[in-house]
Order: sequence, then C-alpha cells, then structure tokens
Amino acid sequence: MALFRTAEIIKASKLPPEGVKLSRMIDAVYFLPIAYLGVFATFHMHFDLLAGDWDFWIDWKDRQFWVTVTPIVEVMYPGAIMYYFWTFYRQPFGATLSITGLLVGKWITVVLAWYWWANFPVNFVMPATMVSSALILDCTLLLTRSWMLTAIFGVWAFAMMFYPTQYALFGYSKQPMVVDGQLLSLADYMGFTYVRTGTPEYIRIIEVGSLRTFGGHTVWISAFFSAFVSMLVYTIWWQIGHFVGQAFFWVKGKRGVMSRKNDIMIVGTDEFAARHGTPDGVAPKLTSARTLAEGKS
Amino acid sequence: MNAKNIFKLCVIGSLGMATLGLTLVFNATPASAHGERSQEPFLRMRTAQWYDTKWNPQKTAVNDEAMLSGKIHIAEDWPRAVVKPNRTFINVGSPSSVFTRLSSKVNGTPMFTSGPMELGGDYEYVIKLRGRLPGHHHIHPMLAVNGAGPVAGPGGWMDITGNYKDFTNPAKLLVGGTIDTETAGMAAGIFWHVLWGGLGFAWIGWFMIRPMFLIRARVLAQEGGDALLNDPVDRVVAWGVLGVTFTLIAIGFFTTDHSYPYTVPLQAGEPKIKATHLKSDLTMKVLAADYDVPGRALRMTLQVTNSGETPLRIGEFTTAGIRFLNKVGVANNLDPTYPAEIMAQDGLHMEDESPIMPGETKEVKLDSRDSLWEVQRLMDMVNDPEQRFGGLVMSWDESGNRHINSIAGAIIPVFTRAAG
Repeated sequence: MALFRTAEIIKASKLPPEGVKLSRMIDAVYFLPIAYLGVFATFHMHFDLLAGDWDFWIDWKDRQFWVTVTPIVEVMYPGAIMYYFWTFYRQPFGATLSITGLLVGKWITVVLAWYWWANFPVNFVMPATMVSSALILDCTLLLTRSWMLTAIFGVWAFAMMFYPTQYALFGYSKQPMVVDGQLLSLADYMGFTYVRTGTPEYIRIIEVGSLRTFGGHTVWISAFFSAFVSMLVYTIWWQIGHFVGQAFFWVKGKRGVMSRKNDIMIVGTDEFAARHGTPDGVAPKLTSARTLAEGKS
Repeated sequence: MNAKNIFKLCVIGSLGMATLGLTLVFNATPASAHGERSQEPFLRMRTAQWYDTKWNPQKTAVNDEAMLSGKIHIAEDWPRAVVKPNRTFINVGSPSSVFTRLSSKVNGTPMFTSGPMELGGDYEYVIKLRGRLPGHHHIHPMLAVNGAGPVAGPGGWMDITGNYKDFTNPAKLLVGGTIDTETAGMAAGIFWHVLWGGLGFAWIGWFMIRPMFLIRARVLAQEGGDALLNDPVDRVVAWGVLGVTFTLIAIGFFTTDHSYPYTVPLQAGEPKIKATHLKSDLTMKVLAADYDVPGRALRMTLQVTNSGETPLRIGEFTTAGIRFLNKVGVANNLDPTYPAEIMAQDGLHMEDESPIMPGETKEVKLDSRDSLWEVQRLMDMVNDPEQRFGGLVMSWDESGNRHINSIAGAIIPVFTRAAG
C-alpha cells in the first residue's frame, strides 16, 4: 500500500504523463525562485520596518514590547500566504514557508551586515526564531481545515509559544552582573559595551508599557495581549490574501460581450469540457493567450 | 521596433556605459570621519561645548584599555530649533565598535542609560575603552539628544594594533563565573536556530516530494477534490509534528530555566547626574559680533568685568570642538596631543592684549581668525535658522588658574570686504 495518495491525485487531475512531468517542473521553478525568494525578500523588509530593532539587538529583547510586537508582526505575512497556498492548493505550509523565508533573510543580514560589515558579534544580533510557532499554525490549519479555528487556536498558540521558544536562545542574557556598582543584565551590558553610534541608548523601547499585573508576570500578560491582537491581525491578513489572491479572466460571449470569470481553475476540468465540447476533459488546444481570453462561454 | 525606439535604447545604453566608466575611473577612498562637518553650525556651536577632550593613549593594542575623557558644557543659549536635552547619553562616535566600552562615568556617576542634562550645566565624562578592532580610527565623544540626534564632539585619531582574533571581553557575573561577551550564548542560539530551521524545512519538504501546485489545483477544482487532497498520512504527521514541537519548546524552556536560575529583566532606569557649573571671576556680555565670510573670521566685541582679585588674560576661544588660541592660551593650555586639524594655535587676536585688571570693566575686541572656519564648514552659519553663535572663552591669571565663560549672542554676516 502506498504511503501517499499521489497516484490517485494525479489520476484525478486528468493530466497526461507529459503534463504531470511539466507540472513538477513548474513546481520547482515556481516554488523556489518565485514563491520562496519573493516571500523571504518582502517579508524580511516588512518585518524589519515594523519590528526590526527588537529582533536585531539583544538589549531590546524585553518582557513587554519584544513579546508583544514580534508575534503580531510575524503573523501578518503567514495569514496572507496561508490563504493563498491553502485556498488554491490545500498546501499547509504557508506559515512555515513565510517564517523560514524570513529567517533566511535575517541570517543573511546577520552574517553580511551585522557581523561582516559592522563587526558586531553574532550573539549580540542573534535573531529570534518563530519556526516552532509556524509549525503549530500550519498543523492547526491542516488538522482543522478551518481558517477561523486556526485563527482562534493556532494563532493563540503561535503567540503564546513565542517567549518559551526564545528563552532557550536568550535566557543566558538575563543573568545579572554588577558594573560600577550598578546591577545590569548581561544583555544590558552587551548593549552598553558594543558601541552603536547611530542607535543611542534612549532609542530602546523597553519596559515602558502598562502591562504589569498579576504579581509581576509581565511576560505572560504581554503574551496574552499579543495573542489576542495576533488573532485579529491574522484574520485581517487572511482577507488581504483573499483580496490580492483573486484570479480571473475575461471571456467574450457569443454576442461579443466580455464577462469576468472568477473561477480560473475551471479551465481543463470536466465542467469546462462539458461546456466547451471536449469530452475528455482536456482543455481545448489554444493558439495564444488571447484565444483563451476570447474562448466561448 | 521603429527608429525612435532604437534611438531611445541607444541613449539609455550610452548613459549606462558612461556611468559604468565613471565608476571605474573614480576610485572611492575610505571615509576618514563621520560627517561631523555636515552638522549645522548652530547645532555644533550652541548645544554641547566640548573642552579638555583627551584620547589616551593614542596607540592601543587589542585587549588593552584606553580612555576617552573630557568636559562638556551644555549651552545656556540652547537653540529653540533643537529639542532640549531632557534625555541624553554621552556616547562614543566610532566606525563600528572598534573599542568596547567598559565603563562610562559622568561627574562620577555611572551612565549606562540616558538621563536629563541641565542647560548651563557642566559635566566631566570618563569613558573606559578596550581595543577590539585593529586599525586607525577616528573617535569622537558624542552627545546623543533624544529628539535632536547626536551632536558630535571633536574627533581624534586612535590606533589599535594586534589581531582581532585575540580579542576577548570577559564579563563577571553576579552569581559567579565569567563569560566572554563575544561568544556568550552563541552555541545555544545557533543550535536552536538549526534545529527549528531543520524541522521547518523538513515540514515543507514533506509536501515538496509530491506534486505541489498545478495538479492539486486541478483536483481541488473538481467535485470531491478537497477530500481527496486530505491525505490521512499528512494528518498523522501533523499530529506528530505538533507533539514534537511542544515537547522541544518545553525542553528548551525548562533546561534553560534550570541552567540560569537567577535572572533579572532589562534595566530601564536613568542616572541622576548632578551638574557642576563653570567658575570665572570674569563676567562677559556680547555687545556685537559678526562673521567675516571672505576673511574666515568671527569677530566679537565683549563687555568684560573682572570681579576677582587677580589680573586675567584671555587666551582661548573654543566652539564646536575647535580651538582658537593666542600666546596666553598656548602657554597655559596647549595639549600637544590635541588634533592639529581642529586647533589654530595663532587663531585668536585682540586689539588690546593687556590683562583685565581686578574691578575693571572694558570692551574687548576678539577676533578668531583661521581657515578652520571654512574647513570645518562653520561659515555656513548664514544658512542656519537662527543667526546666533556660542562658545567658551578661557582666561588665565598669573598663577595659571583657568576661568571659563560661556558666551552667546546674535551675529551678523559680512559678505564682502567693503562691507566689513
């Protein structure tokens, strides 16, 4: 017995063998150079503009803003990308693709810009990772097959798991030390000891919020707040994915009237074949893109 | 393609080739400073008055300590166009972190975070550094003012010799033990990044080994396509990935928590630094001032009163970190290590060089004249939003005691010799 349903799926696609082969080539060309690089480049820029400093510097990784801002910003692109991959292909890797793509961009920046060009040690500019949260989000969508349940449960876990995941990477930097009679965390000292001309100390946005209750458990209050906002943001970005992910084509009818067809996937299907008189379900042979646009309806 | 389009392409191509040619012809030289001259004169002359700046020693080996020290007077005549120094930080302007900063004290108080400074206040700073990146570096003290940006102080050259690979920056922890800030936490960070990245790519790879897009889209568009694409093995794997993910998060969190039982949050306080104030037996009032653009001079007429008990001679006028001295200044305050490019040893002239006697009030005409006004781009004052100048005037008595006055006043440009 086969591990996957691949054979059944290929059969149901009604593509001839050469079509199947071609589709795999399209997979390779479309996925890596276009989808992956496109997502990593744009998401990286988007993230750096909205939450960059909290991610660049170890002395920005506080209990309030870092924990609040990062998941909210990091859930945006996954919302739209998940819509696209799930709605059109039922592929549950939109979040992981976005977040790993973001990390590829981050690490290129860390190595080339921060370490090689600006000479900061890598640990000082180590980025956070939300791959764990992305896996939770993707698995939730696959298992529930509902974007609303994913927004409620998956995104909640996406944000809540942020701090515990990062603690393994950055816990060491919270160790106390005394310099000139002042108590500092190691992260504070690293921010002080590595001179940053363009980013003076006062630019840090840390520990200035009002999310302080329940006996000082600031992290979890911030994480809860971040989770709720992330849910809302996710649904908005899912709808943005819906808005920009629309595809349609124009068909010229018998009377010469152009009409918009939203279901581009109908081309080559049984329904299309029945409507256009091609009983084997294969799309009519087209001579040019213009022929498709002017096809019968 | 018609002739017009071919012509357009030729023009664009020619421009591209010309750009490439020029790029190859003109060799870009390394930057030797930080653009401090591009800061507007009113910003440099009327905010932070830097004096007694020292870069010590000027040659350091990797891992050896050095000192950047000096004094800063926060001008009383702070420009209206610049945010007041309510949140400031004395920083080091350097090309990257060529030194690490070990400690920073302002008037004896540690300054790890930013804090307010007082208009008219005087602050002495001592910044202890450790050589990190070998090279010939231009180092400035710098006053970073929230809302106004950094104000660069005078820049001096410091050399660091040795090899960066030998650099370590040990930090002693409160709970015992020492760690190197260059490498602390690096292994754990890279381990978790590789682990999570590997899991993420494995998850994507699980779907990449099967048809990904076109075939699935065609199936999904059909009746029952959604159910067919809902492969049971994917659901099993998803449950497994969820389990592994939560387990790894828990392992990472609790082992780290166990490894570092004592932690503190990031510190966000502010230092309370008490200002000192300039001391002088002289009082000075600017009666008139102009700047001679073609003559590269700032001329001022001061009303000076000596309320002390000893005669005093004016020897130095300093503004924007640039020093103009006469013989009195050279005799009393010449630091041979001060960068020659920002000091005019014969740049201060007076009509009447006699001392100001105790109890005497007289008009003093001071003329600070040197090409430094042009080289340091302070003659651009005419483009400032407020035509005023500021600076420190230093005087000495016979015993070598220094008296410093902060002056400021309106200033008029003189564009031609005839008008001057």
